[in-house]
Amino acid sequence: MKSLNSRQSLAALGLSLLFASACTTGGGTTPAPTWSDHPATPASTLTPARTLTPTPVATEPQPAFPRTVIDDEGTSVEIASEPRRIVSLTPAATEIVFELGAGEHMVGGTDSDNYPPEAAALPDVVQGVTVLTEQVVDLEPDLVLAGGNNFTPPAEVQRLRDLGIAVLVVYPETVDQVTDDITLVGTAIGRDQSAADIVGAMSARIDGVVDAVEGLAQPRTFYEIGYGPDIYGPAPDSFIEDMVNLAGGDAIVTDDPAVFSIPLEQLVSRDPEVIVLGDAAYGTCPDGVATRPGWSRMSAVVKRRVWPVDDTIVTRPGPRLGEGLAALALAIHPDAAIDPPATGGQYCTE
Amino acid sequence: MLLASVGVLLLLVTLVVGVCFGNVSIAPADTLVILGHRLFGWPAAVTWPQSSEIIVLELRLPRVLTAMAVGTALSLAGAVYQGLLRNPLADPYVLGTARGAALGAAIAVLLPVQVALLGLGLIEVFAFVGALLAVTVVYRASRLGAFSSLTSVLLTGYAVGSLLAAGLAMTMYLSGDNLRQIFNYLLGSFALASWPQFAVSLLIIAVGSLLMGSRTRSLNALLLGEEAAAHLGIDVRRDRLILLTGATLVTAASVAVSGLIGFVGLVVPHLVRLVVGPNARLLLPLAAVYGAVFLGLADLIARIPGELPVGVVTAIFGAPFFLYLLRHYRTGYAL
Amino acid sequence: MSGAELELRGISVDYGARRVLDGIDLHLAPGELACLLGPNGAGKSTLLRAISGAVRPATGTVLIDGVPLDEYERPALARRLAVVPGQTVVAFPMRVDELVALGRVPHEHPLLGPQAVDRTAIDHAIERIGIGHLRHRDVRELSLGERQLAVLAMTIAQGAQLLLLDEPTVHLDLRHQVDTMELLRDLATRDSVTVLAVLHDVGLASHFFPRLLLLDDGRLIADGEPRAVLTPERLRQVYGVDPRFVTVAGSPVKPA
Repeated sequence: MKSLNSRQSLAALGLSLLFASACTTGGGTTPAPTWSDHPATPASTLTPARTLTPTPVATEPQPAFPRTVIDDEGTSVEIASEPRRIVSLTPAATEIVFELGAGEHMVGGTDSDNYPPEAAALPDVVQGVTVLTEQVVDLEPDLVLAGGNNFTPPAEVQRLRDLGIAVLVVYPETVDQVTDDITLVGTAIGRDQSAADIVGAMSARIDGVVDAVEGLAQPRTFYEIGYGPDIYGPAPDSFIEDMVNLAGGDAIVTDDPAVFSIPLEQLVSRDPEVIVLGDAAYGTCPDGVATRPGWSRMSAVVKRRVWPVDDTIVTRPGPRLGEGLAALALAIHPDAAIDPPATGGQYCTE
Repeated sequence: MLLASVGVLLLLVTLVVGVCFGNVSIAPADTLVILGHRLFGWPAAVTWPQSSEIIVLELRLPRVLTAMAVGTALSLAGAVYQGLLRNPLADPYVLGTARGAALGAAIAVLLPVQVALLGLGLIEVFAFVGALLAVTVVYRASRLGAFSSLTSVLLTGYAVGSLLAAGLAMTMYLSGDNLRQIFNYLLGSFALASWPQFAVSLLIIAVGSLLMGSRTRSLNALLLGEEAAAHLGIDVRRDRLILLTGATLVTAASVAVSGLIGFVGLVVPHLVRLVVGPNARLLLPLAAVYGAVFLGLADLIARIPGELPVGVVTAIFGAPFFLYLLRHYRTGYAL
Repeated sequence: MSGAELELRGISVDYGARRVLDGIDLHLAPGELACLLGPNGAGKSTLLRAISGAVRPATGTVLIDGVPLDEYERPALARRLAVVPGQTVVAFPMRVDELVALGRVPHEHPLLGPQAVDRTAIDHAIERIGIGHLRHRDVRELSLGERQLAVLAMTIAQGAQLLLLDEPTVHLDLRHQVDTMELLRDLATRDSVTVLAVLHDVGLASHFFPRLLLLDDGRLIADGEPRAVLTPERLRQVYGVDPRFVTVAGSPVKPA
């Protein structure tokens, strides 16, 4: 009997530890390390009308190099000279660098880089989720752009820093942080003006979309990230939720910031009026949705408001996000006065 | 002894080959000169790029050494557990070490804290502690204090392991996005090996190995069972605890730095036993040497094409080799 | 090698609340060959375990060569006393000479291992038991009788002067039973090893052992020559059987 008690008490201790840790992390956005939210440049705020005020470029002129920037984790990164050998560990960062006009200085990217087309030709230092450290070191980069929230393993980031390489962790959690990050990267690589131009254009595009859907009824919108074996959708306080709401929809989200699947019953009871297929690029099309068991009664299916989008422009936190927002908004409000996206793939067009 | 000298030679070969090859091709000649120049002070003109030096000295060398240390640790622990439990199917994780480490790692990922000490983050420390705690619980719960049935130990290990696995599943469910980090860690890899990690794990592995190595006589006596060992003059309670502590320490250290790597701890002792028999005075040293070779080479194979999980490589290459040995090797030993 | 002297004074053993041995007094001179008999549950195995130290008695003392058991260091005790269990199970393939070598565990250096003197002892033991032809065989492939002999060789390598055997003949065929008994008698007479064996087979016991100890319900109720111990009334009382005695020429009384 004595042994049973010691085991029981240990189990109880273990479970209470689990519950305790769950409670402390359940409320936050990310269970993992807390990030500081914004880099040094002034933050933009969302007004109740949900219009983005364009982020003013920092009025203090940045000196020529060396520069110190603060990344999205709050780490101060010193960049000795204007980077000429840039390695990106996320597809979004790759897009940003190319858009800033520094594509010629990129020496390494990921195997998911697909925009612009030249990016795919870069040597891959990331295969799937694995960072090939030897390749990174061999390229002798003077700046590495890493992903946050475990997109790039924190241990890997630390290791590269221990080897003396400047690593900037870029992790936007909301749409307005994306423009901040473009500014951050622009500052880091010495393309401040390009960054300002891009941010200005993006903000204008985003504001245009937001204005066009202002006052319109916000349909319950489900953005499908994936289907099978579970239904995958955005979590509360996530980037995609932010996008959907900006696009004039009432985002349907999962129950918990750490959960990405939604039970069918719950989706049916929420009854989406619009379904946006973020997995269109992977073969999911509106016709297929109607045939799914249990889906045929949803308002969105009945009213045929099921739209495919190119997820790389909608979910990738990069320079094409404005176009992505436009695509999303047009899926939710097809009659809104929004210019169609100038970029992005077309799917399900047969 | 022939096997010992061959083994040591293979150790050196593994080390050199492991450092010479990787994702990036560096001329082997350059590699050797880098090693000689920086480690032993050989005079040489620096003709290689800085990056090559970093790759060889900061990435590959600690990685190969860590893989070899872990190979030694797991093989020794496997041999000892097999002897202690008199069970040929025992491996280093049989008393719940793996599950305890996994749960520790998962809890570490869940906590919103980031610490790093000597190259060891929270995840490694918690995994280590989790492994030790799991075995302690099994030890106490199965009343290993008195002469007890080995079946009860194994069953307790299974039960505690299942409980820990449930805890792990719960934690992983709660961790959501960080699932990937936990999975990556558990899958077993030497990709994040570093000098500080190697130093700390080597220290613990050395201590544990010494503990086990000091009890070879007792391990031999235990071949006949605990009562017979006692009749042969062994202090079974004390030596069992020492052996268990040593085996668990090295296993916990291994799991902490490299996640869960299976197959090594089970198979290497058997391979060695097939050739030299159950005498622990031969088995332990040779298992240590050949375990290092095995895992060092497995890691090399794992990292050449990209980054395969090393546990997959150990299974793919170890199993057929083991089967071959079983069929073709005859010295009067039959498994 | 001279045998060890064994003395038990007032040994009682409790398993929980149950007293399984009650006030056992016993004396074996060096070189004596004695057999412990009794029905199931009489406490025979427990008595052996009390002597070997595997079980702590509730009362009483065990003395070997006049020294109480708990004053012996473990290796010293192992050099004097050896136990042959009824069955030996080995988990891994092991050669016979490796098994015999285990007998040197109480003698050999903990780290350096067997030295020349140990190897000599091992060879001698194998010769003495006559299993030289089995030297390199896997213990697990041997017949039970051969395995028993290997264990006996181990106890000789151990240098034991007091040998305790728990039902050594239970699984053996007749020939091996006889072989083992004759070997024990040889060890007692030639090497003066003190032997105390638990046997089930009353006939075998009375044939080979000049001294029988009859145990019943935890008490030693008879101690002496077979003829004196195995009287009809006693057998009826202890075993519940009605014996008929058959005397085989040249041997002590052998009940049928």
